[in-house]
Amino acid sequence: MTAIDNGAREAVVPQSPPSQARENGVLPSRPLNVAEHRAYYGALPAADRLPLGELAARIGHAGVRGRGGAGFPLYRKIVSVSGAARARRLQPTIVANGCEGEPASHKDKHLLWLAPHLVLDGLVLLGRELRATRAILAIEADAPNGKGDLVRRVREAVSERDVRQDGVHIELVEVPGGFIAGESAALVSTLNGGPGLPTYTEHSVREHGVGGTPTLVQNVETVAQVALIARYGADWFRDYGTAAEPGPQLFTVYAGRRQPRVVHSAAGAPLWPLIADAEPIDAVLIGGYHGSWISAPLARKARLTEAELGVPLGAGLIAALPADRCGLTETAHIMRYLALESAGQCGPCLNGLPRIAAAMEQLADPHHAARYAGIVQNLQRWSGMVEGRGLCHHPDGSVRLVRSALTVFRTETAAHRAGVCTGGDRRPLLPAS
Amino acid sequence: MNASVLWYTSQATGIVSLVLYTMVMMLGIAVAGQGRLPGLPRFGTVALHRSISLLSIVFLAVHIATAILDSYVNISVLATFVPFASSYEPLWVGLGAVAVDLMIALVVTSLLRDRISPRIWRAVHWLAYAFWPIVIAHTIGLGSGSGGLISGWELWLTIACVLAVFAALGWRIAVQLERSRRTPAQVLQTMRSEVRA
Repeated sequence: MTAIDNGAREAVVPQSPPSQARENGVLPSRPLNVAEHRAYYGALPAADRLPLGELAARIGHAGVRGRGGAGFPLYRKIVSVSGAARARRLQPTIVANGCEGEPASHKDKHLLWLAPHLVLDGLVLLGRELRATRAILAIEADAPNGKGDLVRRVREAVSERDVRQDGVHIELVEVPGGFIAGESAALVSTLNGGPGLPTYTEHSVREHGVGGTPTLVQNVETVAQVALIARYGADWFRDYGTAAEPGPQLFTVYAGRRQPRVVHSAAGAPLWPLIADAEPIDAVLIGGYHGSWISAPLARKARLTEAELGVPLGAGLIAALPADRCGLTETAHIMRYLALESAGQCGPCLNGLPRIAAAMEQLADPHHAARYAGIVQNLQRWSGMVEGRGLCHHPDGSVRLVRSALTVFRTETAAHRAGVCTGGDRRPLLPAS
Repeated sequence: MNASVLWYTSQATGIVSLVLYTMVMMLGIAVAGQGRLPGLPRFGTVALHRSISLLSIVFLAVHIATAILDSYVNISVLATFVPFASSYEPLWVGLGAVAVDLMIALVVTSLLRDRISPRIWRAVHWLAYAFWPIVIAHTIGLGSGSGGLISGWELWLTIACVLAVFAALGWRIAVQLERSRRTPAQVLQTMRSEVRA
């Protein structure tokens, strides 16, 4: 941060969070309409209270990273989108990405259900900052949500907005679901009326996105964080989490056989209390289906940081696998889903992932695993052959999961090779459809 | 130099060029279909396609130069580049001139491939599918050795060239159909049955 940025920050004193938001947490316990939203979080700072550049400076100081899984710094995206927009004299487009895609993850839907106006506020603020008059909120059509009709709820929230006051017109777009539909280039392709698959382009969506304009695609949780930073400031944001991974975060937690719950926490918090209900556990899946398994002993003592877990927090999935389940079966179940979700565009992904999935199924079945040698070596070899060779990171994330399974479930692998399975319950735990 | 030497050199290099361009076509089709030649790594197909097409320029140049220099029939320099400007067999020589022009376009765009848009290169490269039939027609019209319609072994050679390129095209279409049918679910099924077998 430069001296100029600091000067700008002093000019506008952030409000402190109203008592409700301070006491009850960043998310309310029930859905809020626009008036309740204002009472809960405080009013959205008016356009003249946040001079141009101030919000970006705060975001940079806060160190916000994308919460969709990849963890890319938001500030750098803003800089490159606004640079591209200036260079090409085009108005950029802002997209809040609510296509969670992953069947096990619920935090984005949870956020949109309880506080849709937080996401809409974030869109308005980013729109003002980047001088965009158009912003899009993309959500999954018929998104499965235990609580009710999410699309209708969000549509009502959008209709409650005052466009003249906001200065940014928000469009709600329903997008077909699917694991890779939320990948930014795939999402932009859908919004442009295309097939909704990851694309090869010489320019990223930051330069050529929706309608050819420079486009900022950001996960809805990240967009909501912008709305909070605009109100309470960067230092409030940095009070949460660790220096390396600051900010409040939402996690989807599976602990045992109960329904998943979305919890509000931050990096640096101990992991074990979140999953204690599931004890005894065998392992914990961290990040998402593109994430990694970690062993139970590590999960019991580690804090939620990338440094201690050895794996990134990704899209915030934390799934504890009870000791009576088989980690290899679970991984094979997820891997089959991931292979079938391949767009089938790139050879290594189209041919490699089903091959890896079939071998994983073979390894998960003790009868087969005992009969055929070399499954693990094949899995290792094929994983190396697909990594980094797709248009998107679908193959990379999928082999990350497989590799972590082969490391964490070493004893299970040895047992299966001997023809026995240590897990009693062979039903899959996590959803995969 | 004996006049007939020039004439027969022109005829012979023409036939060699036909064979080389047939090979270039087949290799190009193999590259587009991501095929692999036995004993060659995959990049070898591209390298061979490129090398043979550049080599064929030499034979084409000799073919054209001897045709101009030769006094048996009168073909002007202009007639080798401008289609249908020849007084001798305007149609068949004219087709040769069209082929020369297309050849220049193909080679120049390929040499400048790094500097032009891939779309332009691709569009121009599709002209190869026009270039090669024109070469065949030119050969049929003038390839007899005496300047008339093709006959004898030259005819059989030309037929063999046509069949070879058709075979390559057939392979390409079959591969493409097979690939477009392939989905992750289908690959997974195949893999599973391989595992169970």
